[in-house]
Amino acid sequence: MTVNHSYHGVLIGLLVAMIGSFFADLLAGPVSLQWFNIWAAIIENKASLDSLIFFEIRLPRAILALLVGATLGISGAALQGLLRNPLAESGIIGVSNCAALGAVLVFYFGFTQWAWFALPLAGLLGALVSVVLIFLLAGRSGSTVTLILAGIAINTIAGALMAMALNFAPNPYAMQEIVFWLLGSVANRSVSDVLIIVPFIVFGGLLILSCGRFLNALTLGEETASSLGFNVQVLRWRLVVGVVACVGAAVSVCGNIGFIGLVIPHLLRPLVRHDPQRLLSVSAMGGAVLLLLSDVAVQVLSSGGELKLGVITSLVGGPFFLYLILKNRNVWG
Amino acid sequence: MRAIILIKWALVSLLSLMSCFAQASVPQRIVSLSLCTDQLLLMLAPRQHIVSLTRGAVDPDLSYMAAEANGFLLTGGNIEEVLPLNPDLIVGSAFASRDAVHFLRQLGYPVKLIGLPVSIAEIRDLLLAFGEWVGSLERAEQVVRKMDWQLANLNLQQDRVKKTALIYSSNGYTIGSGTLENVMLNAAGFHNLAVDMGVVGFEQITLERVVAAQPAFLFIENHIDNSDSLASQYVNHPVLDKMLLSKQREFIPSRLRACAGPMVVEAINYLSENHHDSKP
Repeated sequence: MTVNHSYHGVLIGLLVAMIGSFFADLLAGPVSLQWFNIWAAIIENKASLDSLIFFEIRLPRAILALLVGATLGISGAALQGLLRNPLAESGIIGVSNCAALGAVLVFYFGFTQWAWFALPLAGLLGALVSVVLIFLLAGRSGSTVTLILAGIAINTIAGALMAMALNFAPNPYAMQEIVFWLLGSVANRSVSDVLIIVPFIVFGGLLILSCGRFLNALTLGEETASSLGFNVQVLRWRLVVGVVACVGAAVSVCGNIGFIGLVIPHLLRPLVRHDPQRLLSVSAMGGAVLLLLSDVAVQVLSSGGELKLGVITSLVGGPFFLYLILKNRNVWG
Repeated sequence: MRAIILIKWALVSLLSLMSCFAQASVPQRIVSLSLCTDQLLLMLAPRQHIVSLTRGAVDPDLSYMAAEANGFLLTGGNIEEVLPLNPDLIVGSAFASRDAVHFLRQLGYPVKLIGLPVSIAEIRDLLLAFGEWVGSLERAEQVVRKMDWQLANLNLQQDRVKKTALIYSSNGYTIGSGTLENVMLNAAGFHNLAVDMGVVGFEQITLERVVAAQPAFLFIENHIDNSDSLASQYVNHPVLDKMLLSKQREFIPSRLRACAGPMVVEAINYLSENHHDSKP
């Protein structure tokens, strides 16, 4: 019972932190808003300058930060559980870059008009390719070194292909925008950007959450999991589809925001006593909190919005990565 | 008789010698490395002295002198393309192809660079200086006189209160003080809100500040038709369509403002026509 109590405590604590940082992100911006004007817009449907900025610019930005942060957190926890590897993270193993490559191909070559879901779907397909490659290359051996090397290779290839695609893109701005795809940002997004990714993220998130018990069983090894009655093949694919659906969609509108999927599960794992199922939901909330707070930092530090969100998350995540290496040097050696 | 022939011969040879000297000081093989020097050459230099222009020169969207640029050799402004042309004067922009310029100067080629005029007076100076480089000072003086006359005779509607305006272009850039664009806006009867924001030159501003500034006129600048880029998402953001009281207009066409020159008159006229349209 004490375990449950502390788990519920963690859930409530993170929920409060998430709501708090969501409102902090809504408050952050270059223009100070009159809040009664927004209230008036909600109650009396009276449009004003403040309500326009709030509903068209800030709200989409904050919702995106929340959704994408949650996606990166939960997918990091899922990948680490699935590959039974502490370094599995969509950015490190190349899933995000491949998703970005898919999105770049659709976005710059005029295919976004084909269907509203063209962009997130392309991100999804790119991510799927990378996960299949990771399975083929690193397999189920769980060797950290193989996984990291496979990740570096996939990341490099996807990055190079993305640069090539941007080079050949008909738009003259395309090449400069590689920064966005490699570092990620939620700036200047509109309501429609939120709407096109919501179905993918909800679908992917639910698929991942439905695999929670399977992840718990998987900690005992695949044979044990299948002897416990889990259909390992089917569930593994369900988890993979869940991860690529939400990561692919998130990357396709916000670029590759790094390190959240790595840092958050590691930070929160002790709080849920290394329970992979419980880690999923707390990582989603933790990821949302970290990305929302990072966006607040971006708003405070740069007036023109030049600073990319991925810079902040990498500044947090990079040193943490080093810390992990130092701490586990002997274990991984 | 013989003496007269001798004097005549001496005179002719003296004259041809003099014209030889004169010709030596006027560049005969001029190569241009940038769009703006292309246009200045076409306006001021004798056509037979122009050896090559850049590819942008014939693009009617970019170049005010596109029609006159037909028939010339076009290059990408690379050293390898320029050297075989054996130029005796190379003109370019101080803000482009720095490496090429440095190299060409090391090789001993005369290179003249133009700056970026940010006022009518500086345009005047540029035209006269350029005219002198290419040996057409008189032609340059003519062009300046015509421009001044046109500027003095602009038929502008002067309101007591200037209309507020803001320029917003790809990647979220606006244009503030210390720019030719600002001079054009003021001359056409607008008050540029970017100047109030403290924007000097070109600066990125957020969408929020564009909305909060509440300009009576929002000049949208999208250099290119292709909008498949994040850069275009700034000017295509739905909030701009919903902005209250604002009128969206295309900013000055590139051919009138990409380079400084006498086309500034046409640019001011273009803005001022927008102004007239808005009258109720």
